[in-house]
Amino acid sequence: MAYQWDFTPVFANADLLAQGLVNTLKVTGASLACGLVLGLGFALMRLSRQRLVSWPAGFVIEVFRTTPPLVQLFWFFFALPLIAGIEMTPLLAAVVTFSIQSAAFFAEVFRAGIVSVERGQWDGARAIGMTHGQALRRIVLPQAVKRMIPAFMERAIELMKTTTLVATIAYTDLLFAANEIAQKTFRPLETFTVAALIYFVVITAFSLLARQLERHLAVSGESTVH
Amino acid sequence: MHQWDFASVLDNTDALAVGALGTLRIFAICLVAGLSFGLVVGLGRYSQRRVFYWPATAFVEFFRNTPVLVQIIWFYFALPILMPFSISPLAAASLGISLNSAAFSAEIYRGGIQSIDRGQWDGARALGMSFLQAMRRIILPQALKRMTPALTNRAIEIFKMSTLASAVAYVELLQQAKLIASLNFNPIEAYTAVAVIFFVFLWPLVQLTYVLERRLARDE
Repeated sequence: MAYQWDFTPVFANADLLAQGLVNTLKVTGASLACGLVLGLGFALMRLSRQRLVSWPAGFVIEVFRTTPPLVQLFWFFFALPLIAGIEMTPLLAAVVTFSIQSAAFFAEVFRAGIVSVERGQWDGARAIGMTHGQALRRIVLPQAVKRMIPAFMERAIELMKTTTLVATIAYTDLLFAANEIAQKTFRPLETFTVAALIYFVVITAFSLLARQLERHLAVSGESTVH
Repeated sequence: MHQWDFASVLDNTDALAVGALGTLRIFAICLVAGLSFGLVVGLGRYSQRRVFYWPATAFVEFFRNTPVLVQIIWFYFALPILMPFSISPLAAASLGISLNSAAFSAEIYRGGIQSIDRGQWDGARALGMSFLQAMRRIILPQALKRMTPALTNRAIEIFKMSTLASAVAYVELLQQAKLIASLNFNPIEAYTAVAVIFFVFLWPLVQLTYVLERRLARDE
């Protein structure tokens, strides 16, 4: 007997799915914002000539790039609260984990971007009397950031996919919401199919936007770093 | 201040060993299945025939633009409803990770094949080779060299992704850490130990990709 598809129980819970999607975007947005700031900090530390500054940054970057994100999330959710004696909510654990993790990736993008700016730009800035910090902020970073946009977008999309891991620590993101609906309605096939399609639509929209932006940058003659 | 107590983890090395075997098993399956199916899909993406190009493109777009955890959950909870048989955690996780890796590696293969100079094709065809012969003997060997760093990166990603199998209770390292943590009330040590194991295992591989990338940049 062929399976009778029935999507009505899923649509009856559309509000739960919408809330899940909002939470997914919330985790993604918060981690992205913190990750960018932290990533720039890591990159500047790593570019420092002082080993005491560059080594710790290098260590954090390596650790977060070479351990599985899910292990990191479990560590921050189950282990850190016991060490630090603090309360940890699933949302906080997720944002902390994904911020540091994205920062580790962003740091390498920032570093590549900063290094890609011609030496002469630095010299020029210094020649007109700017300090190192001023030259970085006013001359080098604005040029570097433009080249890094495609790599940032790509990473942001990866991040959104990675946020599904929060479902394993019971934060109500889109995947967790789908799981609840599936259990409540006994319609896992329809529910998870709809959830997958929502992810597909949202992520594809972001990818197309990223591609458009990349083409726009290419037209304006900007080289990009990856 | 927390008193670190790794003895409670070391008492459970046999459980961790079982987990490590599970991790290696699913890694091996997904590496072989993902990278070989990825080649097939990549050739489809490279093809000028619509019957090959469109299905391959749809596959790549779908599996790249959905989270791998959603795919695993779908194969575990949703697919069995359409099938007359049940699906084991290993099968569901392997399907999700392999298909996801196939989609990503397909783009690596396509890029690598496209990067080979047109003249190499012409030369091979002039010698009387068929398309497949030219691909196998002339194009792929050259392309593979260029693709090695990217494919090694993929392998590292697959290794990290294997932890997602714990979401459907497949016995691998992270799942065993959960077990050890809940039996001995030592989540700090259990999860730290697993993080260290992954780091020790993957760090040399990551360094290898750096070396490969640098060597390739120098040779080209």
